[in-house]
Amino acid sequence: MSGERHSRKNFNAFFYSFAGFLFLYSAYLFLSNLDQLFVTEAAVKTREITSWGEDREILNQFAGGFWKDPYFWKSLNLTLVITIMTTLIATILGIPTAYALSRYRIPGKSVAEVLFSSLMVMPGSVIGICLIVMFNYGPLWDLQNLLGFRFAHSIFPGMVIASLVLSFAFGMSAWKATFDSVNPRFEQVARSLGSSRWRAFKTVTLPLAKSGIVTGIILAWTRAMAEFSAVLFFCGTFRELPASRFSDFTRFLQMDQADWVSVAVWAQVEFGNIEYGFALAFILVLIGGISVYVMHRIGAKGYVW
Amino acid sequence: MALRSRGGWWPALCIGTASIILAVYLLLVTSNWIYLGWHDTLYFFSKSRMWERFWLTVWTATVSTSLSLLIGIPAGYALSRFRFPCCYLVASIIDLPIVVSPAVVGAFLFGITTRFPFDWISEYYGIYIGRNVYGVLLVQFTVTAAFCARLMKASFDMIPTRFEAVSHSLGASPLRTFFKVLLPMAKNGIIASMIVVWARAAAEWEGLMLFVGATEGKTDIMPFAIYLDWNGGMMGWVTSMSIVCILMAVSAISAVKIIGGRSNVW
Repeated sequence: MSGERHSRKNFNAFFYSFAGFLFLYSAYLFLSNLDQLFVTEAAVKTREITSWGEDREILNQFAGGFWKDPYFWKSLNLTLVITIMTTLIATILGIPTAYALSRYRIPGKSVAEVLFSSLMVMPGSVIGICLIVMFNYGPLWDLQNLLGFRFAHSIFPGMVIASLVLSFAFGMSAWKATFDSVNPRFEQVARSLGSSRWRAFKTVTLPLAKSGIVTGIILAWTRAMAEFSAVLFFCGTFRELPASRFSDFTRFLQMDQADWVSVAVWAQVEFGNIEYGFALAFILVLIGGISVYVMHRIGAKGYVW
Repeated sequence: MALRSRGGWWPALCIGTASIILAVYLLLVTSNWIYLGWHDTLYFFSKSRMWERFWLTVWTATVSTSLSLLIGIPAGYALSRFRFPCCYLVASIIDLPIVVSPAVVGAFLFGITTRFPFDWISEYYGIYIGRNVYGVLLVQFTVTAAFCARLMKASFDMIPTRFEAVSHSLGASPLRTFFKVLLPMAKNGIIASMIVVWARAAAEWEGLMLFVGATEGKTDIMPFAIYLDWNGGMMGWVTSMSIVCILMAVSAISAVKIIGGRSNVW
């Protein structure tokens, strides 16, 4: 009996060690970089030569003095507003789409399933290039010339479109699974009792699918926050653009001369402002960590296939 | 008949929205073909530069997938079957590399490769992990190990614990149960997860941009080469390589659909 207990213990220890390795690796990866936030003498000396004039006092502080820089607050504001808009649009479009894909016979349904699943393993750079090729050439380009505005390299249609592509696919993965799991019989009963199709959906299926819809919203928002490549390819950076390039509306919302946060991480690290870049990165890690913890707590499931 | 028509706008709206979105996504994915045309696609596909990059992508993705499977299958089993204090917190931290922006993961890898295990490896074994193909493997491993553990957890979650309980009650040891009962039952899920993990490894490039950088023919795996050639303004190369990446992703997912089953991350 004691021998069996011993083997059970060894067995558990073996499997725990692999999960423990992953945990330690991830924790080490994210925590050991905290010292990158402190500015070193060498960095100060390098910046005497390379930095742009008036920003130098800010950059030579803890974490690049990010809290004093209006660029940081504007970028955070921009990212939060755009991700919330993206999530709203994805929800409004995604719930009818998921319901249709789950309940009705649509031509090309299997194509849609493969397409939405494959978007999850498609490189972000390919999504970005597809967006650029789709909007900057051919009939959509002519349409933009006719209407006098641009989708690419703009904040309002551009960034929302770039973050929407993958955010919508991830939200769909949860919404479709939820509507699949709700028995269509309940709705049929409601309809046989005289309610319309819309009312049957609103009063029967929607309350049953509520938790899955919330899951999809969280997934879509998290994916929109994690978006990098599509925004980089389709919108680029805005920091160096002149103020006259931005509309009054953008300036009113405090979004001018600001970047998508994960693009700003890249831009700052490439520029040599390592501390500033890492400060932004830690903010993204905090947001991502909280949302994934919430997902685990409520038992959220986003299906890949 | 009156019953059928009342509120009929709702299915019409649903089907209309679904069709429009499907059309937009199809246009998005096929826009590269439409842009490039048949003859230019064939021209770029016949170049050896394309296939060198393709094989680089394939072998790096295969190596990092094998490494992450070695870690991911036992870790997924532990996450699926064992309950321990703070298990949600531990699972969240394991998930962090796939949840935060991959650019952030690249920046953090850039930070840790100067530290303890990595500086030690480069000093004693002469293996420098950084601006070479080992850096590519490290970036792919970091992202896919977490992804693999999640998919394996989902595959093991599909199997009821009852089978293991029966096997235990008949006197089999835990190890025997794992190899003779659990793994054969989870086989399809594991194979499907393997394919998806491979596709995810081949799709990873944001980390490379911050951490590894570009060396023509050495570290420019296909998604990264798309970025590099786009900066160089070579739209023909960019669109033809996008086509290859799209075909890789779509064929991986089609294979998974043929295998069947379901799996979830998060």
